[in-house]
This record gives sequence, C-alpha cells and structure tokens, in this order.
Amino acid sequence: MSTEATENIVSAPIFVRGEVIEGNDIVHRSRDLGVTFATPNIPFQKAIPPRTEVPPLLNVPAKEIIDFLVETGQQLVAPDNEFVHECFERMASTHILPRSVVENVSKHAVAYLDRRILQAELDQNFPDPRVLDEWVLKEDFTGRRAWVRACAPRLIHVLPGNSPGVAIKSIAQGALVKAVNLFKMSSADPFYTVAILRTMAKMDPNHPIVKSMSAVYWRGGDAGVENAIYRPQYFDKIVAWGGGDAINNVIKYIGPGFQLVSFDPKTSISLIGREALEADEIMEKTANKAAADLMMLNQEACAASRFQFVEGPKALVDEFCAKFQRCIAERAAAAGDVRALDKDLKENVETLMMLDDDYRVWGKTDGKGLVIRSEEPVDFHPINKIGNVVRVDSLGDAVKWVNVATQTIGFYPPERMADYRDALGAGGAQRVCPLGEAGPSTIGTPWDGMYPLHRFVQWMVNENGIPA
Amino acid sequence: MSTNTGYGLSYADIRETQLAALDESLQKQVRNIKLVRMRAEEANIERILTLTDVVPLLLPHTAFKSYPESFLAGGKWDRLTKWLGTISSLPTGDVDLAGVEDLDGWVDACGRAGLFVSCSSGTTGKSAMLPASQEDLDFIAQAQIAAVQWGSGIRTGDMRTSAGPAGIVAHTPRNMAGGKAMMEAFVDPAAPRFSSGLPLATIGTLMRMVLLRKKIADGTVEPSELAQFDADSAARERGLAEAQIRAVEDVISKRDKRLLITGMWGALYPFAEAVRARGFSAKDFHPENACYLGGGLKRAKLPDNYREYVFETFNLQPQFIYQMYGMQELNSPMPRCSAGRYHIPPWVVALPLDKTGDNLLDIGKGEIECRAAFFDLSLTSRWGGVISGDRIQLSFEPCECGHASPSIRDNVERFADLEGDDKIACSGTVDAYVRGMS
Repeated sequence: MSTEATENIVSAPIFVRGEVIEGNDIVHRSRDLGVTFATPNIPFQKAIPPRTEVPPLLNVPAKEIIDFLVETGQQLVAPDNEFVHECFERMASTHILPRSVVENVSKHAVAYLDRRILQAELDQNFPDPRVLDEWVLKEDFTGRRAWVRACAPRLIHVLPGNSPGVAIKSIAQGALVKAVNLFKMSSADPFYTVAILRTMAKMDPNHPIVKSMSAVYWRGGDAGVENAIYRPQYFDKIVAWGGGDAINNVIKYIGPGFQLVSFDPKTSISLIGREALEADEIMEKTANKAAADLMMLNQEACAASRFQFVEGPKALVDEFCAKFQRCIAERAAAAGDVRALDKDLKENVETLMMLDDDYRVWGKTDGKGLVIRSEEPVDFHPINKIGNVVRVDSLGDAVKWVNVATQTIGFYPPERMADYRDALGAGGAQRVCPLGEAGPSTIGTPWDGMYPLHRFVQWMVNENGIPA
Repeated sequence: MSTNTGYGLSYADIRETQLAALDESLQKQVRNIKLVRMRAEEANIERILTLTDVVPLLLPHTAFKSYPESFLAGGKWDRLTKWLGTISSLPTGDVDLAGVEDLDGWVDACGRAGLFVSCSSGTTGKSAMLPASQEDLDFIAQAQIAAVQWGSGIRTGDMRTSAGPAGIVAHTPRNMAGGKAMMEAFVDPAAPRFSSGLPLATIGTLMRMVLLRKKIADGTVEPSELAQFDADSAARERGLAEAQIRAVEDVISKRDKRLLITGMWGALYPFAEAVRARGFSAKDFHPENACYLGGGLKRAKLPDNYREYVFETFNLQPQFIYQMYGMQELNSPMPRCSAGRYHIPPWVVALPLDKTGDNLLDIGKGEIECRAAFFDLSLTSRWGGVISGDRIQLSFEPCECGHASPSIRDNVERFADLEGDDKIACSGTVDAYVRGMS
C-alpha cells in the first residue's frame, strides 16, 4: 500500500441536477494509467426524481433547448471558463491521450452545439419533430384519430473514456429528447461531463436542462450501485457506449421496461484498391489518407482504421506499407504522442517480426507508429498507432472480414464504393466513406445503424376515437 | 523437514552465484532463442552483471501465446513449428510433420523430436504453449518431490493411498511427468486408484475453444457447431458430476487408509461438502492423512473458512498439508513453510518489479509489495525469465519458520482481479461482444 499513499489523489466532484457535490468519500483507480481519484458518495434519491414528477424539460420547446445548448457551446470555448480549464488540468493525469489531443478534441466537439446541426438532428431523426413539443394529431384511413407524443424518457448514459466528444453529444441529445439524464462517467475521464454541466449551471442554475442532468462516477460493474438503480422504476433506457465487462454487467439488468440502446464497440477498416498503387504519387497520397483515418484520436476512436485491405501484388503493397508507416509516424510525432506499446501488444508484434515468411513489419515497437503486412488480419487489436495491411488479390476478398462490429470503411478509389456497399452492408458494416474522410460525417445521418434520438424517446398515444 | 535441498539458503549467500548463473544463461540462450536475442539487442544488453540487467529481458506470459491463431486454424504446422523455434532453445529442424493432421498430432510430432509441448489450461482466451526438454521434465519431477518433502511431513516411501475429487486434468507432458513422479514417490503402487473415467483433456481439446472463437470472429462459424460445442460442454459437466459422486464413494471407502489427497481448492471444497453430507468427517479419517494442494483459488468463490473446512473434513494435520505457489512458466514450485509463507529455491531468482513490470524495486528491508517476476535457472529449453500477473508481498529477510530464503506471503492476488474492468471505449474487437468472449 506504500506505493499508493505517496500518490496524489485527484478529486472528481459530481453534479446532481444543478448541485455540485465535492468530497473524497470513495477512492478509485483509473485503469489505464493507474492514477488514483476520489469521488463523493452519490445521493441517488436526488439524482433520480420519482416518476410522479413530470420531466422538467417535457414542455420546454425544442427551440429554447437548442438556444441554451448553443449558448453552452459558446461558454465552453470562452477563454475564462474556469470549469473547463480546471478539468483539462485534472484530465491530464487520468486520460490515456496527451493533454493537447484531449483539449483539441474537446474544442472540436463543441462545434456540435450549433443551431443548424441540432435542428438537423431533430429533422432527420423524426419525420415530424413537432412530436417532441406537442401532442400531434394523427388520423388513419378509417377516420380514427389519436394524438401521438414523443415523451421525455428517463435515460442512463454509460459514457466511454476514450472520447470527450461523446460527453457533449450525449448531453445535447439527452436535452433534445427532453430526457431525465444520469451520466455514468468513465474512470478515464470522470471530469469533462461535470465541467460541461457546471458551465450550464453557471448560465442558469434553475434551467430545466440543468435540473434534468446528473453526472456521477461509480466503478462499472459495482453491483451495490447497479443492482439498486438499473431498474424500470427509475429508468426507461440505458444508453451504453463500449463493451467488455461494463456492458456485460449492464446486460444482466435489461428486461421489459428497461431497455438497452447500445453503441457497440466498433472496429474500422480501410479498403484500398489497386488504383492506389498505380503511380508513386498516388501511392503517397493514398498512404497519407489512410494514415489520417488511422490516426483519428490517435487511433483511440471507433472510426479510426485498424486493418487496411490493400489490393495488389506483394511487392507493390510493401512499397505502400513503407509510405503508410512514414505517414503514421509523422502524424504521431506532430501530435507529440509517444505512449509506449502495451507489453502484450509489443510481444505479439515482435513475434510477427520473427515470423518473416508470413509477416513483414515497418517501424519499431516503440509506440511511434508501425505497420504490419500479412495475408490475414492479425489476431490482436491494432491500437496505439499500428496499421495492419492485409494484402488481397481483390477487394472482394476483404468483404468476408466485415462484420457487425465494423463501423467505418474508408474506401479508395471512391468510385468503387457503389460496387461494394451492398455486400459491405450485408456483412454488417454501418458506414462507407472515401478514404481519408472517416472523421467528418454528414449531419443528421444515422450512427451505429440507428437514428439514436428516435431510439431514445418513449412514444405515447392518446386515442380520440372516430369523430361523430 | 529435509534440509539438503537448498530451500533455506539466504539471498545474500547466493546472490553472486545467481548473478553468474544468470549471465551464463544469457550467454547460452542469446544464441539459441531468437526471442531472447531480439530482446537483448533491443535493450543493448550483452552481460548480466546486476539484477537490473535482467529486467528488460523478462518475458510476459503472453510470449508463450503469441502464435497467430491462423496457424492453428489453417493447420499451418510448419509455421507453428517455426513459431515454437522462436521461443525455444531446442532445435526444431528435426520435427517431422509428415502426417500431422491436427494440433494433437503436431504436439506428438514435436514430442518425437524431443520438444515436449504443454499448454496452460485456460478455458476461454488463448492458451500458452510451453516447450520443455526431457531434462526439464525430469527436473520438474525431482523438484516437486523435493518441495513436498521440504514443505511437509510427507515422505518418499510413505506408501499412501491416493484419493481426491474427480477432475479433468490437462493431459500435458508437464502434468504427466509431475503426476507420475508424485505417485511413485508417495503412493503404494498396489493401492486401488480411483479412475474418473473422464476423457483426457489433450492440448487439442483445450484449444477447441480458441479455434471456435476465431471462427466466431471470422464470421464462419455455423449454428450447429456452436450448439455442438455447448452440448459437449454440458455433457462434460454431467460426466464430471457423475464421476464426482463416485470419487466421494471412493474416498469414503478408503477412510481407514493413510491417504494422499490431491486437488485444487475449487474442487476440494465441494468434495469435502459432499463427504460431510454423507455423514463422514475428521473422526472417520486416518490421522496421518496428507494432502497436496496445487494453485490458488483460480477465481473459485468459496467461504472464508474453506481451508479449515477441507482440513477438518479429512482429518488433515498441519504437518501433512503441502501447499505451494508456482506457475506454468516455471519449472520449480515454491513450497509453503510452517509459518505460512512460500519459499523460493536458490535456483529461482525473485525479481520484485513495480506494477508496470518495467522497474526492479529496491530489495531493502521488510516486505515488498510488487509484481512477481522470476528467473528459473533450471530451465533449459526456454528462457527462464518471466513476468507474472500476480501481486505478491515478497521478503528477502529470514522467515519466522527459521529458514533464511526469500519468501512470499500467502496473499497472492492477480492485478487483473484487484482492478476490475471499468474500462470502456467505443472502439473494440468483435469477439468482445459478439458472443461475450474476450
């Protein structure tokens, strides 16, 4: 225990419907970095209003909610925002990514809080977005009528630790559907969600949005907490990002009245046609685009490419690999990311270096970017700036590696996307884009195979019979 | 207790000898083991002069499971042999692969060439494959017997009668060699032996899960294969339950004999419960009964008093209870002393590391909380230096039991179990959730 006593304990306050609660009642370890942080006990009876209380946001017009979210965005990037400032300070010790990357990503994520984007989300998720604000009258072909309403749900959001952007998006989406929200933060980032909510509370401590949001931390899988609150009496849906034990634990509690909306853990890949290898200049450009997709959030994002299926003969594919590795290393150096490879991962890569009949490796196992070329995807998860180029005779050979966990497929040349997208969709993929474009997505399009806002709400019908 | 085995030697007395042996091992294996050569070159280490020099050369347990699964699934036996050659000092050129059709066939072919491959018995995840020479197997047998006699009053020639819960034991060269030697040393060959009748778990059967998992990830598995796998697992469990009833009968029928009970805690506890349910307990069993306990709890969930419960059931007195700490990656067991600590033999170098496994901690005074790493100097067929996943309390000071050798407190935990899994990210692997395997 002597090693722990000498460490600094970082305090992580929680936010409960407008109230900030400080305290070091429970000490936790951040898994990735082994950092210790402390949180107060969670007053769940305050965080979870009873069902006898109509959700505070239900009758706040969507337009007003959007106004408040847009203003929040402005405040989050304001240079004098002490909450955000302090939060980055604290995050530097618990987050897996370098501080500059986290800060940039967080700033970039604020762009989501844009009036046009938020309105587009509503317009694309609901055929008639008025259902959020009022009871909308429907009439069937027999003349029978009913009012329909997208009712405010009660949501638990299990946030991931790899992307600060998800915190902003989850808060915005939870507000847009007028939900009562409880955010369960991750040990890699028990700060940013609270910083956003504190910013909101400073703008208006009594705003219905503020009164609809709580952000707390408990160790994922803690039955003492989860058995008590993962119940339909308190919540309608659990919106869970990620996988592993955190989700396996959640599954136990799912049942009638308590549903799972799951943003599954995803792997993204690239499909690169022989056209990329035709000339040195094209090869260089393509390698750079492939590296851009791989280096999204320094390969921590779900849309970051991990396997690159390249169509062509070994000699040319190897030339591509050399360029690809250089491009990754340049981006890694520019990001100042020098995280060492995990021991097991290093061991796996080094083994492949020795099995040089089947594998070839460019770069070193020093965490500065490397590429492995093989004839089949490697059986470990490429992460921390590692590309696995799988040589194929035809892009069609790559389709069999696509499955329900395949999120984004960067494609080169884009003209060939149309030939493959049906097969990729049948395999389970959710998104195809031109190579190098894995980051941006068209506003209001589905995510992870669904229109999320539509999945969040609880529909209610008020029958009105057939008018006499 | 026998004293001629070196278990009592203090670290100070043997430090120089250990360092010389470590260096000798490096000079020899850097030529023979590709992985060690690579590590030594990368770390720029040519000689081992201090314990710190060994640290970058220690292998995580994953080194022995780094083979690409596609080699197994695709039956690429020549490639798998090549992989084995990167972690072993034994030449693989003599392995004749003609007629090899499955993993068990490959293991047999390696065995014919003097490379005895054992695997860890992980039921999910990937299994480690550990090569051994005949010399290693002989050493394991010898070391086990010496450790039992150092750590208990059990003696060769005791002519005991064996008993214990029915279990599916991994049929590996290592287990066979150890088990055979134990029986020869302590058990009466004429005494009746319980036969569970359960099929042997070969490396091939243990690896079925790995191959199935790969097929799931590849999207090529058929529903009938999954159904068959589940049916086989269920049948195995039924078979085990049935054999267990007979094993309980067996131990009760031998209750007047001087027994040697062997097993893991997870199996022994319900075994003892079943014996008590039949109305038998300490008063019915021989006062000189002995037991050989391998391994820790292995995540079995038992009541706090599980040890006392088992000991009391079978009338087991402290001097006849042998317990040890060890791991598949090492040849040598660390027997538990009368003060309840696991002692490290002089040919095993204890290396207390920090949690990350990157740095050697100061040996200093008192107990050190550390990640366990060891260098087993007795290993000939592979590199002796391994980092474990265990958190231990290690002391280099003389033990209360009167022996001066370094020792480990009886509270070994896995770092993985201590931390739990609270890590979630939206990026991940398919098998992490397609079938809940990871």
